[in-house]
Amino acid sequence: MLRKLEDLKPIVINEPVKKLVLAAAQDQHSLSAVLRAAMDKIIEPILIGDKEAIQNIATTNGFDITGLRIIHEPQTDMAVEMSVKMVSSKQADVLMKGKIGTSQLLKCVLNKEWGLRTGHLLSHFALFEVDTYHKLIAVTDVAMNIAPNLQDKIAIVNNSVDCLHKLGIPIPKVAVLGAVEMVNENMEATLDAALLSKMNQRDQIRGCIIDGPLAFDNAVSLESSQHKGIRSEVAGDTDLLLMPDIEVGNVLYKSLVFFAKAKVASVILGAQAPIVLTSRSDSEQAKYDSILLAAAASKK
Amino acid sequence: MISSLDQMVEKVHSMKKRHRIAVAWAQDQNTVSALARAVNDGFAEALMIGDNGAISEECRKLGVDPSVFKLLQSPDETSASKEAVSLAARGDADVVMKGLVGTDKFLKAVMDKEHGLMAPGGVMSYVCAVQLPAYHKLLFITDTAVIPFPDLEQKIAMAQYAIDMANRFGVEKPKVALIGASEKVSKHFSNSTDYAVMCKMAERGQIKNCIMDGPLDIFLACDPKSISIKGVDTPVAGDADVLVFPSLEACNPFYKGLMLFAGGELAGLIRGTTRPVVVMSRSESEKSKYYCIALSCLMA
Repeated sequence: MLRKLEDLKPIVINEPVKKLVLAAAQDQHSLSAVLRAAMDKIIEPILIGDKEAIQNIATTNGFDITGLRIIHEPQTDMAVEMSVKMVSSKQADVLMKGKIGTSQLLKCVLNKEWGLRTGHLLSHFALFEVDTYHKLIAVTDVAMNIAPNLQDKIAIVNNSVDCLHKLGIPIPKVAVLGAVEMVNENMEATLDAALLSKMNQRDQIRGCIIDGPLAFDNAVSLESSQHKGIRSEVAGDTDLLLMPDIEVGNVLYKSLVFFAKAKVASVILGAQAPIVLTSRSDSEQAKYDSILLAAAASKK
Repeated sequence: MISSLDQMVEKVHSMKKRHRIAVAWAQDQNTVSALARAVNDGFAEALMIGDNGAISEECRKLGVDPSVFKLLQSPDETSASKEAVSLAARGDADVVMKGLVGTDKFLKAVMDKEHGLMAPGGVMSYVCAVQLPAYHKLLFITDTAVIPFPDLEQKIAMAQYAIDMANRFGVEKPKVALIGASEKVSKHFSNSTDYAVMCKMAERGQIKNCIMDGPLDIFLACDPKSISIKGVDTPVAGDADVLVFPSLEACNPFYKGLMLFAGGELAGLIRGTTRPVVVMSRSESEKSKYYCIALSCLMA
């Protein structure tokens, strides 16, 4: 069982080392996390960007970049395009955002000719280490899909379950989150939850056990689910929490980080390779852990 | 557990009670003969509302002694219906039954907001207990007669009424199959999505006293062999007690086919009312009519 984000390390270390391409690498925070991950043999970096700027950052911050593969491309859009193509041509296993806007990067990822499309929906997958829970818990989607419909939710679950399989959880338990555990016709999320559960029972969504609607407490606490008399294989032992929409997801994500002091790693799934898309507000540790997660998720 | 319609009649006998049946516009040959039998069998008392002369004439034709009935003179079918309904509403009758009056006029009286018999929140629908040589127990099916295209809420009510009836027959936790053309959930089949929602509601105790699954086709619902052939994991397991149909047009031909081709007999009743309401179709067999009356006494 994975209890800590650190527990992802053996998964990565036992595999051939993954190549991570950092798009527009002249970014201090990303660079620092990438270099640390490289030192720990979690990934082998390829830095694409303005070589001079990269060197300046390294000098200023005391980073050692000797021997690293750096491809000089001062124009940001060209650097991103080159990075994406490196992944689509299988020369790299993980894509990471450097000094570039998220939308600009995603535009390249979704490029019809040379992007990383697979026909699947892209979704955000966050993996939390919370002291008060007995194992790592994944939450999706807190950052990418705004108001997923049923089809989108199926795609999001599939992306996430596939990733959890790679992390060594053979049959992840998926809780579809609602405000209540009862089905209520006026709460769309509870209806979708019922449908997802049934589709799972009918093998229309495979590789996991889905139950929902479950209120947050029922999902993560056996005691509170028993208190409510809910009979569920998932309740209290959830591996993956499926959010009804981005507002709920984002607030939960931030509450876990700010109030529960959770550690988090996150990655974009559904493309040809995992994408590390951390924001500037993420801690250095979160960036490092996200690289670790992406490396584990890129397991073949 | 009552597993045949004759056992149901025995059960009604054993209750040692004469149930008072108010019949609206009673001068109908079929009605008179079925009721005469029920009265002679000692479990019914018939309040025949209509044209007394015409009722006596029907009795004479059938060789029935009119004095076994209580005759109440009424000028027309509408007043006869109102009178029958108000007797039941006042508690002076246990069951209301349609005689020669048109179904629309009769049900209008039943559904009258002030003087009618609708239960608070009641959904008028029709449940049949069907007996078949080819099945090992009674099948409770709904809705053969009232709601053309039930929505989710109506389906929930229909299911609950059928479950309640099965409970009354001593089936403690009836297995409820929600019938569709296939067992898969698809947004293109809105019934299948309603069914998924209902299954979760049953799981959460929002629909009570049953084991529910659906969508299931008739084979998966009633034939254990199909379960192993199709490999569908369902708690109904080819042993259904209750079949909930997606529409009247599916359910009505189903029961008529069984009556016509499979030697079926039935007992049916309007549900959603405060007192049992018997509405029989003219094409039903003499035996089924008698069973309907007995059923109404059982449910009274």
